[in-house]
Amino acid sequence: MKLIFDYNQSNTKHTPDEEKDVDLPEELKRSSLLLPDVNEVQVIRHYTELSKKNYGIDTNFYPLGSCTMKYNPRVNEDLAKLPGFSNLHPHMPASHAQGALQVIWELEGDLKEITGMDAFSLQPAAGSQCELLGVMIAKKYFAEKNENRTKIIIPDSAHGTNPATASMCKFQTVTILTDDRGNMDLDEFKKAIGPDVALVMITNPNTLGLYEENLSEIKDLAHEKGALMYCDGANMNALLGISKPADQGFDMIHLNLHKTFSTPHGGGGPGGGALGVKSFLEDYLPVPRIKKENAQFVFDSNQEKSVGKLHSFYGNFGIIVRALSYIRSWGSDIHKISQIAVLNANYLFTLLKEDFDVPYDRRCAHEFVISAKNFGEKSTANIAKRITDYGFHAPTIYFPLIVKEALMIEPTETESKETLDEFANVLKTIIKELKEDPEVVKNAPHTIPGRLDEVKAARQLNLRWVPHES
Amino acid sequence: MNFIPHTKEHISKMLSVVGCSTLDELVSEFIPRLSELNLDNPMSEMELVSYMTSLSEKNSPMKYFAGGGSYDHYIPAVINHLVSRGEFLTSYTPYQPEASQGVLQVLYEFQSFICLLTGMDVSNASLYDGASAVAEAALLSSAYTKRKGVFVDDGLNPAYLKVLKTYCDGTELCITNTIDENTACVISQTPDFYGNIKNPHGLIEKAHAHHALFINCISDPTSLAILKTPGEFGADVVVGEGQAFGIPTSFGGPYLGFIAVKQFLTKKLPGRIVGMTTDDQGNEGFVLTLQAREQFIRRERATSNITTNQTLLALTATIYLASLGRSGLQNVARASYHRAHLLQEKLSKIGFEAINTSPFYNEFLVKSPKPSEEIIANLMEYNIFGGIDVGDNRLLVCCTEKNLLQDINSYVSVVSK
Amino acid sequence: MTERKFTKEHEWIQKSDQIIIVGITEFAQDQLGDIVSIELPQVGSSFKQNDVMTIIDSVKASSDIYCPVDGEIIETNENLLEHPELINKSPYNEGWIVKIKPNNPEQIDSLLSKEQYDELVGQGKE
Repeated sequence: MKLIFDYNQSNTKHTPDEEKDVDLPEELKRSSLLLPDVNEVQVIRHYTELSKKNYGIDTNFYPLGSCTMKYNPRVNEDLAKLPGFSNLHPHMPASHAQGALQVIWELEGDLKEITGMDAFSLQPAAGSQCELLGVMIAKKYFAEKNENRTKIIIPDSAHGTNPATASMCKFQTVTILTDDRGNMDLDEFKKAIGPDVALVMITNPNTLGLYEENLSEIKDLAHEKGALMYCDGANMNALLGISKPADQGFDMIHLNLHKTFSTPHGGGGPGGGALGVKSFLEDYLPVPRIKKENAQFVFDSNQEKSVGKLHSFYGNFGIIVRALSYIRSWGSDIHKISQIAVLNANYLFTLLKEDFDVPYDRRCAHEFVISAKNFGEKSTANIAKRITDYGFHAPTIYFPLIVKEALMIEPTETESKETLDEFANVLKTIIKELKEDPEVVKNAPHTIPGRLDEVKAARQLNLRWVPHES
Repeated sequence: MNFIPHTKEHISKMLSVVGCSTLDELVSEFIPRLSELNLDNPMSEMELVSYMTSLSEKNSPMKYFAGGGSYDHYIPAVINHLVSRGEFLTSYTPYQPEASQGVLQVLYEFQSFICLLTGMDVSNASLYDGASAVAEAALLSSAYTKRKGVFVDDGLNPAYLKVLKTYCDGTELCITNTIDENTACVISQTPDFYGNIKNPHGLIEKAHAHHALFINCISDPTSLAILKTPGEFGADVVVGEGQAFGIPTSFGGPYLGFIAVKQFLTKKLPGRIVGMTTDDQGNEGFVLTLQAREQFIRRERATSNITTNQTLLALTATIYLASLGRSGLQNVARASYHRAHLLQEKLSKIGFEAINTSPFYNEFLVKSPKPSEEIIANLMEYNIFGGIDVGDNRLLVCCTEKNLLQDINSYVSVVSK
Repeated sequence: MTERKFTKEHEWIQKSDQIIIVGITEFAQDQLGDIVSIELPQVGSSFKQNDVMTIIDSVKASSDIYCPVDGEIIETNENLLEHPELINKSPYNEGWIVKIKPNNPEQIDSLLSKEQYDELVGQGKE
């Protein structure tokens, strides 16, 4: 395989030549720069070739649970590239960036309406930074009230970022088991909630794709003990226009713009985070805030109670533009997204129930979890690899951790009935293969390269190209 | 705009399979309908384009002579075409490596470029931005040394310092003004916020004498084309902002944080890392590796909760560095350096006082003879953003290869009026 | 050397003169899968019984290893830093992890015997 470092060509210049060397003391000067020189023709070929070795939503169905792999509208890409947005320097004074401030203001407003929260910050770069912000806000809030709260309650089905964030901020995680119906166990919760709990962090619908049926009681108990309710809004795609997290009783919610709001995943990022809070927490949000004064948008950094700053500037602005465009295009029809997301999930769930083990047999929301445990250990891994041979991408596997041999599937609303039928048929075919020709599944994928040795990758670390001695 | 492919017939068939007669009935089976929503009517694509375009036109991009963490370098056309390819744009984190060899190889190349430029041994596949990269480096240092003190040298970008302080407050680290046996790390930016190129040698020695880690921060990494590498100086960790590598200024984001370390800190790196390996036939390929460091496995024992990285921007930077290559990057760095020095020279001849204490790269500090607000306002009338007002009539001015001789002459002519 | 004793968290200990050698069991290494790295505690550091002493990472999992008795770390198996796979290949010999000087040797008596441990893991594994 050829790495970009394997080329040595006549480079394509894009700017006028500057031959003169710099006049710096020797001790500060670089002695050698071992980067390749590659002609533009070869750059195009090299990266075009790499793109063809990559699967995206544009390729086919991408049923990853809780990732919300919906279609990324192309018009939003064009809009983010408008020179007035993409060529705007972040140090420009507000007077010359009114359109940009208005974009942030309007997205904050739309998200307030969608979630029922009173204030938003779009500064966090992604979901986990939102969680960090939320936990820091809780920490400061209780410190100011002189309440010593050291614990955060998290269900055992939660995504790893939740307890990781709690630990980062020196809180103790109290993990609550999931009951037989797939809800956070109410009795266990009652034992755990107390005046030493700062935050209850819940994903709703949860990572099993199920709505927390005891949410109302949990919320009442939490608030009775003075704890705050935090919603991990990764699964907001089930709730748009149907239920506002504020009405469910949450005091804070984070949203992932790159999930629910269609901004592209880009191979792992950039994402976009949005943290919404009730009014009593607004003053803790990071600075600068955007305010409107006499029809002018201004930056306001005069927030004494603010926890500080999370981003070099104002957040992932280019992602904010895309998310605003998406919401504006849907407007008052936004509930259709969630309705069809829920229909697609329940439809595919119904098709697959007969073949897989179903840990929680309930009406699911926009995603569902099934298990391949009846086919033996590691069958989920094998099924996932075999799916690649059929031109699809595997769903999320081995998560949530509480289900053995789990497959977590979120179709999203942009997948057609035909695609879902085809995917269900592929899974049914693979199940048949497991019985009739198990080797073909165990040795999947039959691609080049085939199944890659992850143990070797971790034990014999090769994490970068090393220049040969010249 | 409708990205829902279902016809009424489809919906009806699917409803009967799941056993409901209407969508409302299905939805109400799992969730109590709690809320009414009040948003404007939907917009067609045409209306949306008109609306967002008018918002974009309320902003005034112009000729920039400002840096401060965001650099207006020239972006070769080839980048946008490659980065917009749907297979890159719409893919997810490469957890199924056999379906994502493209992204994984690009990230491996990115990690390699960062190591080559910084002179360090290992890099990760990117962090959110320069500011949070500094914070992550502090967390890493604390986990490694088991200490809580963070010493910050003068000249760190004030926004990075604010973010660092926020992280420290939340995670119970402490920004101190001494280097001693409680110090986890010593953080220094070079070139610093005011443009000064520092020789970190003395500070590195002091840090190491107390067994603290030395963290070098870089705001415009095109500087690495001509400056001695932090690795050669002896830094343990290098972090910075990769926006200068082909990413538009875009009002501050999304940007690209990077982190690179010496070998001994490899397993303490936060975030995603790509490694090369083989399949059982000996075919080479790439995977995400050392995943047990990350939050989804470590959970409450993780050092950092970071999940997403900035892959698409890492891809952008990789293609930028590939397109420019050694000679192109040197060109950019030399041009940026020379334009900045030329402008500083011309300004010092018309009453601006040059106040840098060291050699500088492409940013410099001047004290203006007139109130700085006036200078900035005058330049704005000519569509020139003349620099960042850092108080006390001092301007932080930046040049890149985009600032041509005629632009510099215009600047000088406007302010000399 | 005396007989091995075991903990519920799948560590084994073996007494040798006044010190004890600690590792993880065959069952544990099998559960973890291919081990890729281990964070060793500092020599000279002290732990109480059941404190987290070290973390072992495999490809897909990360596991706390607990200190079986109150004591001070007097030696660690530095070989494991370059060759973590020794824990998989030879969990009772070359894969030993730390040597501890116990503060309260009588704690050793209340650990599990081989029979008790085998019963715990449900099979006659050695």
